[in-house]
Amino acid sequence: MVRLTRSPLLWVSLLVVLAAALLPLWVSAYLLGVLTAAYYFGVFAMAWDLLFGFAGEVNFGPTFLIGVGAYTAAILNGQQGVPLPLCVIAGAGAALLGGMLLAVPALRLRGPYFGLVTLVAVLLLQNAIVIFAHVTGGEIGMTVPDVLSIDASTNYWIALGFLVVCAILLFGLSRSSVGLILQASGQDAIEAEALGFNVTKHKIAAFCISAVFSGTAGAMLIFYMGTASVDTVIDIAIGVQVIIAAVLGGRRTILGAVLGAVFLILATEFLRPLGQLNTFVVSAVALAVILFFPDGLLGYALHRGERE
Amino acid sequence: MTEGVRLQVRDLSKRFGGLIAVKAMSFDLRAGEIVGLIGPNGSGKSTIMSLIMGIVRPDAGSIKLDGVNIAGWAPHRIARAGIGIVFQHSRPLQRQTVLENIKLALLPDSLLRLVADVGVDERARAIAARVGLTAVLHRHPWTLPFADLRRMELAKAIARDPQVVLIDEPFAGLTRGEIAMFSDLIRWFRDQGRAVLMVDHSVKSVAALADRVIAMALGERVAEGSADEVMQNETVRRVYIGGKIEAVARTKSLTEADALLRIEDLSVRYGKAPALDRVGLKVRRGEFVSIVGLNGAGKTTLFNAVSGLVPYAGRILFADSDLKTKTAATIARGGVVQCPESRELFGAMSVRENLDIGGQHLSKAEREAQLSWLFELFPILKARQAQAARTLSGGEQQMLAIARALTMQPRLLMLDEPTLGLAPVILAQLSAALERLRTTTPITLLLAEQNVTFALPHADRVYLLDHGQITWEGTPTHFAGERGAGYL
Amino acid sequence: MKALQILIDGFAISALYGLGAVGFTLIFGVSGVLNLAHGGLMVVAALTGWLAAGELGLGTVLGTLVGILAGLVAAYATYAIVVRPIQRSRAIRPEEMEIFVLTGTLLWGIMIQVGMGYLFSDNPVTMRPLLPGVLTLGGVRTPVNEIMIAALCWISLGLMWLLVNRTRAGKALLAASMNPRGLTLLGYELSHIYLLVWTIYGLLAGTAGVLLASFLGVSTANAGQLTASAFSIVILGGLGSVSGSLIAAYVVGYLETATAYLIAPTLRPIPALILLVLVIYVRPQGLLGRR
Repeated sequence: MVRLTRSPLLWVSLLVVLAAALLPLWVSAYLLGVLTAAYYFGVFAMAWDLLFGFAGEVNFGPTFLIGVGAYTAAILNGQQGVPLPLCVIAGAGAALLGGMLLAVPALRLRGPYFGLVTLVAVLLLQNAIVIFAHVTGGEIGMTVPDVLSIDASTNYWIALGFLVVCAILLFGLSRSSVGLILQASGQDAIEAEALGFNVTKHKIAAFCISAVFSGTAGAMLIFYMGTASVDTVIDIAIGVQVIIAAVLGGRRTILGAVLGAVFLILATEFLRPLGQLNTFVVSAVALAVILFFPDGLLGYALHRGERE
Repeated sequence: MTEGVRLQVRDLSKRFGGLIAVKAMSFDLRAGEIVGLIGPNGSGKSTIMSLIMGIVRPDAGSIKLDGVNIAGWAPHRIARAGIGIVFQHSRPLQRQTVLENIKLALLPDSLLRLVADVGVDERARAIAARVGLTAVLHRHPWTLPFADLRRMELAKAIARDPQVVLIDEPFAGLTRGEIAMFSDLIRWFRDQGRAVLMVDHSVKSVAALADRVIAMALGERVAEGSADEVMQNETVRRVYIGGKIEAVARTKSLTEADALLRIEDLSVRYGKAPALDRVGLKVRRGEFVSIVGLNGAGKTTLFNAVSGLVPYAGRILFADSDLKTKTAATIARGGVVQCPESRELFGAMSVRENLDIGGQHLSKAEREAQLSWLFELFPILKARQAQAARTLSGGEQQMLAIARALTMQPRLLMLDEPTLGLAPVILAQLSAALERLRTTTPITLLLAEQNVTFALPHADRVYLLDHGQITWEGTPTHFAGERGAGYL
Repeated sequence: MKALQILIDGFAISALYGLGAVGFTLIFGVSGVLNLAHGGLMVVAALTGWLAAGELGLGTVLGTLVGILAGLVAAYATYAIVVRPIQRSRAIRPEEMEIFVLTGTLLWGIMIQVGMGYLFSDNPVTMRPLLPGVLTLGGVRTPVNEIMIAALCWISLGLMWLLVNRTRAGKALLAASMNPRGLTLLGYELSHIYLLVWTIYGLLAGTAGVLLASFLGVSTANAGQLTASAFSIVILGGLGSVSGSLIAAYVVGYLETATAYLIAPTLRPIPALILLVLVIYVRPQGLLGRR
């Protein structure tokens, strides 16, 4: 605990959060909106990093978990009029179930096979949304009656607060004993087993944790935007952006994922005048990062000189 | 100091597909004793370890730990029941510090305990001090030398506080001083009343430590007793050496022939593990040279270095040209052909197809002629032409591998442990084939073998490779006289 | 009546699926790469072929050839820019290699899709049929073009079979998929083998793309779906198994066609996806999978 207060990371983070909290004082509502979305994205990316960076499971369809959480919340609120907080919790619960569903094949398949399975999950969800259009609004999407707030600043602070809480929880988890065991399970399952750890149990736990955070953030995002659609929470392109954010920021750093997400959303916004090509540029940059800085920007900064 | 039987293995059996790895193996491990389990590659000793640890499920038999049958349990359950393992290859978590690696071994298997108990840090440091890692606690494993990584493996084992300790090849890659230190730690395990099972290739390595030695071959126990008794046992010697060591005096005088293959100061490391240490040898044109050594001595690594498959330090010259800059395929096409220990056949292809792939640069007529010569050398291959390679028996596969290597029209043919796992009658056929190659073709032959009886009769000269170093060089007759007794 | 229609249409679409899937599984079997830019390559071939045939006035036949060539170039680009650099990168640990290649090809696929969209717009394009006219088979009016396409697919597959099983280079390819180290020890440069397999893959994907444009039309929006169908089929059939991919392609093709005709066109992809889920849970290695 004492070492914690002396850690430079803690002070830098506090400063950053403080600066971020003060932004609404001199930044336009439009930019606040962009950042709000970026913060929810940051939670998506952190949840992904926990699963991949720590448990070693590559999820090519994070939007499966996000989408399940988002749409559950949206449908409950829009169709049944359930109050907002309960919808968010329900969304988290539904995502948890989804996470457990994904965990089953994950434990039996090797890396790339499982990656493909996660992609298939997204496709299935996408098709399900379209088929049950009378409930989900299909490809057009649906609106939700309740929203978090109408005020841009309030939304911003809610998102920031949510991000900070999730970051503390996820980062704390990554540095905890459980996080150490998760890392061992992901890096060397046989060694972890030989040391007495039930790798299966821990991997399922990692899926569940990733799912809960993804689903909750997905639900929150819906209530921020006031709408839910395939394009915003399910499309593979969104999933790819989550992965890019985490990889850009640096795998296994958790906090790097936030940096990557903010950078990515801001960059996409900045490149908007390019029209469609902004996706091209972003993908190209991400590809370059994979080729030249596979540890990501934060990872590279932290591990420089520590390279194997 | 036998307080009673800790581990009882009865009729343990395991087969992998068609291969019987362990056959009805039974033995006891008592508290406060060190047992050495030795055997050549394919004897089943490593499989026994995997079976006890739960990494592999047995087909039959029981493994009783203090009376409870743990056979078929998940590894983590077996670990928590009190069995610890030190793997042959170190398995550190590269992204964690040494201290964190040791702490991990002290943690309970819980999803809810986010913070480790108060004493964990202290205990981890104490264990690190015990094995001599205090100075490097905050370093990452990839910065550490090989011996420290092995120390860390021992530290993790100590942390687990096991009643039964399994140690795989404890001394591989260590210097004499490090071996002494490790031996002390292993003795300390025993003196604390734990049961220790050490697995190794050679009796010599474990002789100093083991209270009892069990020798295995082809999945079964062939001898048990003190280290000396096992070393002198007839069956054991036959399994390792192949029988009575005989040597035929060579009549060919080759002192004038120039060196076709020259290896100088060859060193190879796999990560941190040293595999070859400043090896030097020479093979003259037309010679038949045998490199004799136990499994793990470095024979395969040596061949892989010559073939350009592993990076190395030192010089390898073939016909006076340096091989270092060439790709593996270029080296093979240049006349240096290896018939690897693992044979590397194209299993789903037929015998004929396997042979056809080799002779790519020959004309149709040349290929036909070569094929008929090969079928004469190995008649069984002609009969099995159309069969898929993986359906052949072990001996037939070995013959196919050698024949395929010959289709390359090599100037230097390197054979890596061709006798591994083969029955004596096949060995006779292989021996005859090698003799034909030696007497009727200009091919220079380099044979790496553990089976001395097989390796000696054809050789003009013999090298002894032990733990990555050439420790002896001479003629077969001298080998029989000087080294035969102490080989194991 | 409908049954025959399903039979014929299903045959043609399955043949197209098969062509694409065989390429996908080939590149995995020999080169170990799961190419998520697969659909992108097909789209490049389709759009370039259409451009050459129409705008550049080269006519349908030449346009088709240009399209196939474009597919080949795109395949080479994928290998040279994305796959090989990642495989050779020393900064990536060997266990993570496959995942990085997967992510890299995914990103590259997106780049191709967006890039093509920028150059060609997202509108679907159709190639003019190679052979005009309509035949009546057993009472079903079928465009000659459709029959031609099915025939071309099978001819391509046949040529590939001949190449792999009857030629020296082809046998080397097969051997490389079984045991790359063994092949190196026999004096074959693996880099040449990889070049060969990417060439074959490029031609197969290019052909599939151009023919698809002629049959159903192609737009940049299809890229993702095409990749998804290819890997669904390949998982069903078993990664690395060419015959498995072909059988699975027909299963999927007929399932989809039957669904479209008998249930509803919008539900087309559903049965195949359900089958895929079943296979993943029950028999993850697919019908005839090896690895």
